[in-house]
Amino acid sequence: MDAVVITTLAAALAVAIPALATAWAQSRIGPAVAAALAEKPELNTTAILMIAIPETMVILGFVVAAAILFR
Amino acid sequence: MIIAMSKVRILGPRERLPDVLRTLQDLSLLHLAPPEVTPGAPLDRASLGTSQQRERRHLQQVLADIDAGLDELHRRPAAASQPSARAAPADFVRWARVAWRVRREAERLRLQIVVLDEEKALILKYQQFFAAFRALLEAETHWPNATAYHVLVRGSDAGAIPKLRASLAAAIGADFEIYTQPLASGEIALLIVVAAPAARRVEQLLAQAQVQEIPVPAQYGGGGLAQAIPRMLERLGQIPAARDQALRRQQRLAREHGAELTRARGAVHDRLRELEAVPLTAVTPHAFVLEGWVPTRSRRTLADRLAAQYGDAVAVEEISIEEWESEQAPVVLSNPRLLRPFETLVGVFPLPRYGTIDPTPFVAVFFPAFFGIMVGDVGYGVVLALIGLAVHHWSRPTTLLRTVSEIIGPCALFTIIAGFLFGELFGDVGSRLGLKPLAFNRHEAMIPFLLLAVSLGVVHILLGMGLGIASTIRRHPREAMGRGVSMIMVILVILALLAAVKVLPRGFFTPAVIGLLVAFPALIVLEGVVAPIELLSTLGNILSYARIMALGVASVMLAVVANKMVGAIGSLAVGVLFALLFHLVNFAIALFSPTVHALRLHYVEFFGKFYSPGGVRYQPFGHWTPARPAA
Repeated sequence: MDAVVITTLAAALAVAIPALATAWAQSRIGPAVAAALAEKPELNTTAILMIAIPETMVILGFVVAAAILFR
Repeated sequence: MIIAMSKVRILGPRERLPDVLRTLQDLSLLHLAPPEVTPGAPLDRASLGTSQQRERRHLQQVLADIDAGLDELHRRPAAASQPSARAAPADFVRWARVAWRVRREAERLRLQIVVLDEEKALILKYQQFFAAFRALLEAETHWPNATAYHVLVRGSDAGAIPKLRASLAAAIGADFEIYTQPLASGEIALLIVVAAPAARRVEQLLAQAQVQEIPVPAQYGGGGLAQAIPRMLERLGQIPAARDQALRRQQRLAREHGAELTRARGAVHDRLRELEAVPLTAVTPHAFVLEGWVPTRSRRTLADRLAAQYGDAVAVEEISIEEWESEQAPVVLSNPRLLRPFETLVGVFPLPRYGTIDPTPFVAVFFPAFFGIMVGDVGYGVVLALIGLAVHHWSRPTTLLRTVSEIIGPCALFTIIAGFLFGELFGDVGSRLGLKPLAFNRHEAMIPFLLLAVSLGVVHILLGMGLGIASTIRRHPREAMGRGVSMIMVILVILALLAAVKVLPRGFFTPAVIGLLVAFPALIVLEGVVAPIELLSTLGNILSYARIMALGVASVMLAVVANKMVGAIGSLAVGVLFALLFHLVNFAIALFSPTVHALRLHYVEFFGKFYSPGGVRYQPFGHWTPARPAA
């Protein structure tokens, strides 16, 4: 297989797999946060941060993809 | 910064305690703390006497009456900046009487208005029937000694009416008549008039068919709908006047007593605070002792005022810091005007402990910087600045919106500066117009951007670790040493990595590794076996700053895609419209995502290195002021 295709595929997977993991994590955190907010609305800032925490995975995936493409 | 506090002790003759408490309340400087009472010492914790306890219960009841009365009259006092004047005992007696009367009268009026509103709503529910049945009521009067049934049938069930007629004929013969009238809603109003002897049988039939008669409200009943309708219409005409009268009485009550009750509320709160301060003092048979914290810069004011008022009778002495160092001194943050809005971002966390570090000045620099580097566009920065100015113009001082507008300002400034560094104006429009990047083009130079982001992480995390050392070095020197070794190891790891990838000369590599090997046992000894895990976590924290690059690249990519819309779609106008729409979406994302991630970098990565929450808020004993509105 062409090296360019393999590189591109690797970069795509580097983003796609953490993106799926992030989505799964956020799908679990979302309902929990919604339930917590229903009881304690003052936790709104914490709630946003909790949602943002799994995004680290996809962000690091993006960085790896960039490193693969622009090495 | 956390302002310095001094702990003071006030001593004086016991009979002067009430006067001294009033003076302290007027000064509003001393955060009271109960003096330590050791067993066997001649000092006792003061307590409220029977009459004072009775007075407190009475005032709490008066306060409940005042609050309820003011709420009923919709008089919510604005935040008062001036303390209320001290009230005389006769005032409290009068206010108790007035508050009770106003509360009772206001509740009665509110109830009256509610009853009138409900009655009006009930009558209006019947209004559509009035028109329909008015035509039929004529027929009802032609049947003296008959019973009338008023029924509604859905339009789709119109076919059931002939069947009903047939069923009634079969059951009671010809002693009935059915009149129909279609309604605007599509329903059909039915008036069934039946000879009195057959009424019972008809009721059974209607019940079996589950047909419900329109109920006549009890207060207008006594003769069926025919008699009720005129009464209801007459009442409908009377309700607005009765309601207006009740409202006028409510307004008059508010006019006559609102201001007085508002003043009473402040005075009652003040007196209750005064009573609640008594158990925070200690007494001997002849003297009292008061202790508490006062901002160091205000200590002289407190001492001078007491000396001026009581002379040598009351003494103020400062308790040396060694005596209270281990105690929880109250915390008050004091930052320059420009930095103060960022206290709101720090306020998401509990207050920092006294003796540690207030992170507000660092947040005020790094939060807008991270935001600016992530958005990094002159155009978006200008739009953001305009939004900030608009919000500032339309918001009231001291509200959350005003604070937000004051945070937007620096964020917009850093966004514009970063926009010039990256040569971006609404994406690549800037480069098409000849705007050159002063640093590098984010669109193309991703690796330099990544290095910039991680470098920012190194600076931010090392700063956090340095602050951690500074905040613990006085009270916990061993912990501070452990943090110092950890910080040195982070620096050595970075040096070794830079030397390995030849950014630094190779000669740095070996000394850095040797330094790591030497520092490692020291770290274990000082911080325990979990220290290596924390060290790895710190390195992960630094990598986490790569999100600055990721979000920045995503932002510029979306802007570039938006600009490509102009040429990609056949019509120029449609292309421009799509481009604007895309820019709008990108701008909305640029407002939200960089804010959340810049906050996260502070709360999780930066604060984790030094922030010590759990401080007690400085609440000086003073006059009561109503809570400020939230926005």
